[in-house]
Amino acid sequence: MAEYPELLEFPRFWQSRPLRQPGRSCLTENSWICGKYLRVYRQELTGSLVQHLWITATAVAIGLVVALPLALLARRVRSLAGPVLAVTTVLYTIPSLAMFSLLLPFWGISAALVVTGLVLYSLTILVRNTLAGLRAVPAEAVESAKALGYGPGRLLCTVELPLALPAVMAGLRLATVSTVALTTVGAIIGYGGLGNLLLDGINRDFKAQVLAATVLCVLLALAADAALAVVQWLLTPWVRRGRVAVRVRRRRGPRNPASGSGKRQAAPS
Amino acid sequence: MTTARKRRTAAAALLLAACAGGCVTGCGQSLEQRARAHASAGTGGGAHGALVVGSAGFTESAVLAQLYAHVLAAAGHPVAVRTVQTRELYEPALENGRIDVVPEYAATLAEFLNTKTHGPKAAPVASPDLPVTMAALGRLAVPRGLKVLPAGQAADRNAFAVSKKFAAAHHLKTLSDLGAAKLKIKLAAGDECADRRFCEPGLKSVYGIDITSVDPKGVATAQSKQAVADGTDQMVLTTTTDATLDTYGLVLLADDKRLQNADNVVPVVNARTAGDPSVAAALGRLTAVLTTADLAALDRKVDAERLKPADVAASWVKSKGLADRTSYYAPPTGGQST
Repeated sequence: MAEYPELLEFPRFWQSRPLRQPGRSCLTENSWICGKYLRVYRQELTGSLVQHLWITATAVAIGLVVALPLALLARRVRSLAGPVLAVTTVLYTIPSLAMFSLLLPFWGISAALVVTGLVLYSLTILVRNTLAGLRAVPAEAVESAKALGYGPGRLLCTVELPLALPAVMAGLRLATVSTVALTTVGAIIGYGGLGNLLLDGINRDFKAQVLAATVLCVLLALAADAALAVVQWLLTPWVRRGRVAVRVRRRRGPRNPASGSGKRQAAPS
Repeated sequence: MTTARKRRTAAAALLLAACAGGCVTGCGQSLEQRARAHASAGTGGGAHGALVVGSAGFTESAVLAQLYAHVLAAAGHPVAVRTVQTRELYEPALENGRIDVVPEYAATLAEFLNTKTHGPKAAPVASPDLPVTMAALGRLAVPRGLKVLPAGQAADRNAFAVSKKFAAAHHLKTLSDLGAAKLKIKLAAGDECADRRFCEPGLKSVYGIDITSVDPKGVATAQSKQAVADGTDQMVLTTTTDATLDTYGLVLLADDKRLQNADNVVPVVNARTAGDPSVAAALGRLTAVLTTADLAALDRKVDAERLKPADVAASWVKSKGLADRTSYYAPPTGGQST
């Protein structure tokens, strides 16, 4: 090995310095893992995390509100389904840096710019999954509801959407995790949440900051996904109750959980 | 399906769409307000009328922005600091008042505005002569609603560094030496280098350096310097106040034909939102005492000692007696942004 000394040279970040000189810390040593960084920069970390959280949450919420009518439109007007899906997919292929630059003339430097970009990205997943969920609603369920005199609004809210919920939630979870990651790109205009710290850390070769921001970003994505999984579990009690509940209901006689009392019945078609 | 039902469905869809559209625009506004409140909370300013100091994505700009923020805060102005990566992004924001104050470099900004106003083939207006450059900058900035405050002696010129090994192997001390050596050079810099007169075009025409390509790793970023240290790139665009060159084994090549212009630090403000005389006065006191050496030392504290730009700026402002003027000023009257 003597003739290849360079093989023995590890990349800089692997070099450990066992003896700390007095007055030096993991911050000045530029270590990857640095407890002091977490203490000294706690305010910055918290602020960035909060910003990351609300940018992501706002974007996904608006995305969902926009995706729902688009999916309904695509289902109703068959000829529009192709174009709607195509457009949202093309939007998804626009590189994030380009997306934010393209939106700049409309919004200027603001959080709305980042949120708008993220909403456009979330549409692909949300529209596709919502549409798939709505299309997978069993025809007999829809027919039964119609036979009972359900109008289209009531049919959608009490039969179709609940049945499409697992697919919609799967899309929402995917969109949320993807949005958590994409939010970091907003750092180019100072609205990137943890991305601000990430970009600053990369620019300044500040390893502890890069690692801390990355780990927090991953944890945030995992936590958001877990939280949505719990929401889905709470929203779909019939899945939880499973077969036992169905059997009990059958023994007691037919009962329609969707029918409300005292509601105006829509005219049958 | 009856036509009545169809009509009802269409109406419902329209309503939903309108609702969504309303939220997009409505939410945009409230987001903006929230962001502003959030940004100013960090520096202790109020949510209303905070002066937004813009900072570009590099250490010195962050330090200067914090210095500005501290003297402005001492003068009684609530302030917020916002980091925006490049001039192409923050300059329009400065014009429309989303950003109110930006620490700038006289010649670089003059040439930027010159190109923006007169097209990429405009005759250069900046020069190594500071008064000439400042006069040109004033002429370009005023029609855009910008106010250029007096420049100080602190200057951060662009500079080019190569690895010490490379310099020794080819006997390089100046950029002229590099041009004469007829070497193929891959330059680590920002994307914009290819369009900037003082970067790629100037190196080619003034020094005859054969720039094969610009590696867009950013101006004086860690990756840029590492790329030159590793030999991936041969030269890096950095600045005269760069305190980390030694760490990477890099050395500056002298700008012997004076390609680099008078890049003195100059505060530029939006004339409408930050045209208040107290803003000019506060920044003027800072500009008068700040030197190039101070700037290099402050940069070093952030880059090498890993101190926060805000803390470094606070202690420097205090040490120069610029922080204790609060009582001389009434609560801010100007500086309302957007």
